[in-house]
Amino acid sequence: MYAEHFSEPATSHVASAPIEHQFYPYASNGGTILAIAGADYALLAGDTRHITGYSINTRFRPSIHTLENLGGPERAIVVAANGFSADGDALVRRLAQRAEWYTYNHNKPLSVSACARLVQTMLYGKRTFPYYVHTIVAGLDESGRGEVYSFDPVGSYEREQCRAGGSAASLLMPFLDNQVNKKNQYDAATGLPQVATDLPLEETLKLVKDAFSSVTERHIHVGDYLEIKIVTKEGVKVEYFPLKRD
Amino acid sequence: MDHMPENWGRPRNDVYGEYQSAIHNAGQGPQSRTQTPSITGTSVIAMKFDNGVMLAADNLGSYGSLARFTDQERLIKVGNETVVGISGDASDQQYIELLLERLLIEDNYPQDGHHLRAPHIYEYLSRVMYNRRSKIDPLWNAILVAGKNDDGSPFLGYVDLLGVTYSSPSIATGYGAYLAIPLMRKIVSEEADAKNVSEEQARKVIDECMKVLFYRDARSLDKYTVATVTLDGEVKMDKNVRCQNMNWRFAEGIRGYGTQKQ
Amino acid sequence: MTSIGTGYDLSNSVFSPDGRNFQVEYASKAVEADGTAIGIRCADGVVFAVEKIVSSKLLVPGANKKIQTIDRHVGVAYSGLTPDGRHLVDRGRSESYSWRGTYKVPISVPTLADRLSGYVQAYTCYSSVRPFGVSVIVGGVDDSGPHLYTIEPSGAFWGYMGAATGKGRQAAKSELEKLDLPNISARDAVKAAAKIIYVAHDDSKDKDFELEISWVSTSETGGLHQFVPKELLEEAERLAKADDDDEDDDDEMDED
Repeated sequence: MYAEHFSEPATSHVASAPIEHQFYPYASNGGTILAIAGADYALLAGDTRHITGYSINTRFRPSIHTLENLGGPERAIVVAANGFSADGDALVRRLAQRAEWYTYNHNKPLSVSACARLVQTMLYGKRTFPYYVHTIVAGLDESGRGEVYSFDPVGSYEREQCRAGGSAASLLMPFLDNQVNKKNQYDAATGLPQVATDLPLEETLKLVKDAFSSVTERHIHVGDYLEIKIVTKEGVKVEYFPLKRD
Repeated sequence: MDHMPENWGRPRNDVYGEYQSAIHNAGQGPQSRTQTPSITGTSVIAMKFDNGVMLAADNLGSYGSLARFTDQERLIKVGNETVVGISGDASDQQYIELLLERLLIEDNYPQDGHHLRAPHIYEYLSRVMYNRRSKIDPLWNAILVAGKNDDGSPFLGYVDLLGVTYSSPSIATGYGAYLAIPLMRKIVSEEADAKNVSEEQARKVIDECMKVLFYRDARSLDKYTVATVTLDGEVKMDKNVRCQNMNWRFAEGIRGYGTQKQ
Repeated sequence: MTSIGTGYDLSNSVFSPDGRNFQVEYASKAVEADGTAIGIRCADGVVFAVEKIVSSKLLVPGANKKIQTIDRHVGVAYSGLTPDGRHLVDRGRSESYSWRGTYKVPISVPTLADRLSGYVQAYTCYSSVRPFGVSVIVGGVDDSGPHLYTIEPSGAFWGYMGAATGKGRQAAKSELEKLDLPNISARDAVKAAAKIIYVAHDDSKDKDFELEISWVSTSETGGLHQFVPKELLEEAERLAKADDDDEDDDDEMDED
């Protein structure tokens, strides 16, 4: 019953040697996240399914967290840490705390870029016992432009136009490369490679919903509901969109 | 004359060699942790209904495949309106009970009429479980917490030895996740479904689940406890419930092991 | 205090030639300066009551309680320096906490009183510390029934059927002796306790006071230490006041 928490050596050289059981402190809880930055918005989306193995633990576990910030609603930061959900929760919880302290200590909003560096410090601080998560932070910069930062489990990070993380990242990412960054798209008239431009929010929303609907078909860890948080200068808007439940 | 009493009555050094005081001075040895559970309890199942939450857990404490204890209580009343259901290691369960007991006693010190509700107890247990797994010294359990939110709505949450948490209108630990959840989700799949399910309907499903678990889970017992948290504030503990209307006739036809000759 | 100024009172843990520890005696003075606290051992429990002197009208009513809970089944009331009482309660809580961790069962009241008194006594033995400026009434119900103890600044602890400390202890003690102890019911003991606090209260010295009453009783609280319900407190206080006024009237008539 608790076998999934053990790791055993694949083969034993001596038949009579004791079997070594060791507690494995990680699990994979499925789900996928996706962020896209635009000229005047940033968007972070994720499905709400939570799994262990082949079991759906719950169909509705929203995972996109909003960090309230000084400087009005447009300075809010959205963050998601997908992978081992206990680590993701712990990271987001600590980050929320640190972001709050930042505003108390400095009396100014925490910028998305500063938040990103803070996330790096926190992830790398557990380099020897990592948070098993793929983290994405999104929000607007001082000029109101969308920003997306993505991280590996130990804190390596980069600012990007778009990024997918989690179970179905490998299905989503090539699609985003093609549709958002216009990779492998050529102008019909000139034959030159197309240049990536900012997508309007409406188009991005359609893209995100289609992306998740499609990925739900192909990946068993994704489904149930899609949660989308959109940061604009009006603040953070949340949308829910039903996905297939099978 | 050797005046050191600790040297008296010892084998002679010149014959047997120096006394290996390192043995005597050795500490407790390497620190040991729960690397594997010993006495275990199997599934805990729970579902919401229109007026609260219902949980069940059988009374078996297994020692490996041996049905070692048959009177284990695994549904713990915490305060007046919360029930905690614990599966997994029994000694870790008892430790968790001690933690909760102390939590409640400390909560009572101010005598200000404040009482910890299910979400608070759930949050506390989640922190304990995650912190212990982060020390690689886990409490080998999967826990359900059932009770009421501050606004009076039903609460049900799960936390396990890894610190993984989630909430759902019907949850089960262990084999219950495979055998009981499909049955419970037939009537309570979404949060909104719970409002259309009466206590009687919920009880029927819970009893059915416990029967199915007894049929199929080899580490289960046909004697169990059903706890009902109602929104009116009452916690009912129905103990020593027995699986009803079982049919084991099919077992007669099973050949290949057991005592039959043919 | 004939020996004041002879120099034997300047350090804790130093005996005077006639065998007294003056620091301990001075600690008792701090107790005598504070409001009365009483404890009653009744048929199936213990009742505590204190006269909490209200030193300023700006104080929040009901704050700074002088009756506290040590464990589910144990309460304390004290007279003297409130912070010293608070500290001793903390000690009692950690004793009770560790006992429960070791033995699973709640600590027995005599054991708790014994351990607390040992702690208090230790503060009479070192020049680096001063004794506790409180007399603590410890009581509760355990497997062997109700218990009531008083721990003095010296570390001495005595078991009582009725205990009193603080300013009005003499009056309170003579009132306690009139009760049918330990056969009195918890409910009657609450009313008696309120009356005793009112009798022990000296109107000419302290104008305002707050009455705190708590109980631990098998029948009334299921063995838990709790403040008495508001209605019961109000009833007990009303009866106590009526009684007190009658006596005042009698006094006046005598004067006539």
